[in-house]
Amino acid sequence: MKKILKTKLPELWQKISTDFDLFLPIEKNKTLNFSLWKDGEKVNLDKVRTTTSSKHLVFPQTETYLKFKNQNNKLSLKAVKAIGDEYVIFGVRPCDVKSFKLLDNIFLREPVDTYYREHRDRGTIISLACTNPEDTCFCSSFGIDASSAPLGADVAAWDVGDSYIWKPQSEKGQKLMDSTKELFTDIDEKDIQNLEKEKSNIQEKLEDLPFNNIDLSKIKGTQQEIFDKEEIWNEFSERCLACGTCSYLCPTCHCYDLQDYKGNNHGEKFRCWDSCMSSDFTLMAHGNPRTTQMQRLRQRFMHKLVYYPKNHKGDYSCVGCGRCVDRCPVHIDIVKIIKKLGGENNEL
Amino acid sequence: MENITKKIRAVAKQALIDKEVDKILGWKKGDLWSDSYPVFITKPEDTDTLIWDLFCINNLSKFLIKELTKHDKIGIFIKGCDSTSFNQLLKDNRINRDDVVLYGIPCEGMVDPEKVKKIMLNERVREIKKHENNFTLISKNKNIDVSGEEIKYDKCITCISPNPVVYDQLLSDEVENSKHSGDRFKRIEEIEAMSPDQRYNFWKGEFQRCIRCNACRDICPACSCVKCVFDNEDAEVSGKAKTEGEDTFFHLVRAYHVAGRCVDCGECARVCPAGIPLDLLNRKIIKDINEVYGEFNAGMDSTTPAPLVTFKLEDTDTFSKKGGK
Repeated sequence: MKKILKTKLPELWQKISTDFDLFLPIEKNKTLNFSLWKDGEKVNLDKVRTTTSSKHLVFPQTETYLKFKNQNNKLSLKAVKAIGDEYVIFGVRPCDVKSFKLLDNIFLREPVDTYYREHRDRGTIISLACTNPEDTCFCSSFGIDASSAPLGADVAAWDVGDSYIWKPQSEKGQKLMDSTKELFTDIDEKDIQNLEKEKSNIQEKLEDLPFNNIDLSKIKGTQQEIFDKEEIWNEFSERCLACGTCSYLCPTCHCYDLQDYKGNNHGEKFRCWDSCMSSDFTLMAHGNPRTTQMQRLRQRFMHKLVYYPKNHKGDYSCVGCGRCVDRCPVHIDIVKIIKKLGGENNEL
Repeated sequence: MENITKKIRAVAKQALIDKEVDKILGWKKGDLWSDSYPVFITKPEDTDTLIWDLFCINNLSKFLIKELTKHDKIGIFIKGCDSTSFNQLLKDNRINRDDVVLYGIPCEGMVDPEKVKKIMLNERVREIKKHENNFTLISKNKNIDVSGEEIKYDKCITCISPNPVVYDQLLSDEVENSKHSGDRFKRIEEIEAMSPDQRYNFWKGEFQRCIRCNACRDICPACSCVKCVFDNEDAEVSGKAKTEGEDTFFHLVRAYHVAGRCVDCGECARVCPAGIPLDLLNRKIIKDINEVYGEFNAGMDSTTPAPLVTFKLEDTDTFSKKGGK
C-alpha cells in the first residue's frame, strides 16, 4: 500500500492521462458522470454516486459492429472493431465494481461477447471506498462492503483526509502504481491507523442508513408464485410511467436491442441499450409476449431478484447503488419492491 | 400542511364512502424525507395514508388518461400546475370533465431534494420543517435555516399559477402569486442574447447528455398521444441509438409537438436524469407565441382555442429570421 497527497492529484491525472484515457467522476450541468478527464474539468470525488453508472465504459449505450455497402449490386460487409483505447477509471464505488462482475456473468460466458471483452480488458479499475454513503444506498443487502477493497478492482483506494491510500490488487494495478510511483509515498503506522479509522467510520455510517436492513431472504416462494403475485405487480405498475430511467441508470441492467441505420446504399448495424420498460421490448416477428406495463415492470424485478440469481449461483442482479431509488420520477424502486414481496409495507 | 393533509384524508374517505368517486388519486409518504409519491386508492380505509407535504411534486393529471379507461369517476387532488395540465387534457379531448372530481390545493411551491442535498451534501438530511416563508433543514448533527428560494424548484419560484384554475372544491385559502413570477423568461432572454452559433452549441452540449430514457415524454401531460411516434416501430424513427442527431431530433420534435399545449409545469426538466433544462426549450416557444400571437398560457381554461391551431389574417410571420448552424 502507498499513499498520495490530494494536492498531488492533478499531477497524477496528468501523468496517467499521457498513457491512458482517464475517466473520473466529472461534474457538469447538474450531473456527475464518469467522463474523459481533461485539464480543468471539475472532478468531484466527495459525492458517492455518479448519475449514470460506470457500465457505459464496458457496455456503450450505442455500439456499431457492422457497416454495409451496396455498390453495383454487390454487397460488402465490414466488421467494426470495439472503439476506445486503454483506460483507467478512478473512483468506482464498491457497488459499481461488483456490477462489472455481474455483467461479466452475462457477456463473458460462451459465446463470449468480444466487444464487451475488449472494453473490459482495456480497463484498469480503481475503486474508492464510500466515505459518505447516501440515504438511498443499500449495498450491504447484497453483501457488498462499501468500506473495503472490492474484488475485481485493480487498485483499491480510500480517502484518509489529506491523502488517498492505494492498494494494488492485480498485475494491472501494480503496473499502474509502478509507473506513477514518484507521486506516491510509503505508508507508516499512522496511515494504517487512519485507514482502519476510515473503515470503521464508513461501517458506522452504513449501519445508520435507512435501508441498512433490507432483507432479501424474506422474499419467499417459488419463481412461479412470485410471478403470480399480480396484485403487487399491478399496484406498482399503475403509477409506472414506462420510462427507462431505472434501467438506463442501473449498473447491472444489460438488455440490448439490435438495429440498423439504413442509408440509400449503405448502412450500419448497431446495438443499443434496451429497457424492459419500452413498449417494443421483446417484440418479435410473431408479436409481443408482454403487452402490458404490468408484465414489463414484473419482468424488470423478476429478472433482478429471481431469474438472475437462479442462473448465477444466487447473486442478485442488483448492487444496491440506489440510483433507481433516487431517480424514478414516481418513486417506484427496488427497495419498495423487495419490502413488498417480503411481506413488509402491506399497503403500498 | 398538516391541516391540508387532514382535509385530504377526510374528503377522500367521504367521497369513496358516498361512492361519489370510485378511485382517488393523491400522494403518499415513502420511507425517505423526500419520497412523496402518487398513490391510487379505492378503499375508504386506505385514505389515511394520503399526505400533503413539501414534496408532492408529481402532477397527477396525466394518470387520468389511463385510469379513466378503468373507472367511471375519479377524485383527484390538484395543485395549480396540475390544474392547467388538467384543462389541457380536456382541451385535447383525452378526458371528460364529468368523469372527474377535482379537489384543488393552493400550492406555495415544492422543495427540490437536489438543492437540499447540495446545501447539505453528505450531512444526511432527516427532515425539513417549514415556518412562514423559511425552512429548516435538519440532519443528525446540525440544523440549517434557509429561504424558500434556496431550496424550492426553479419552476416553483417563477410559477404563474400557484392556485388551481379549475376545481370543484378548494381545500384551503388561495395563496399569493410568487414575487418572482415575472422572472419566468429571464433565462430565455439570456439564451436569446447568444449568437446563433453559441445557442447551437449550448443546446448541443445539453442534448448530448440525453440518455434517451423518455422520462420527459412519459411524464409530460401534453404528451398524450395513444402511441408516440418514437415508439412506433413501423415509423423508423424510434431511434434508441444514442447519437447526437437523433437526440436533438427527439427533443426538437417533442418541443414542437407540445407547442401551444405545454402548460409549463416543468416536469420534463425535473425528471430528466441528465439534467437537461427541457423546460427552457418549451418556455422559449411559449415566449415566442406570446410575442407573435399575443399572451397565451395553455391550460388556463379548457375552451380558448390555442394560437397555433387557429388562423387569423392579422397573424404575423416572423420566420424569415436567420437561424444558427
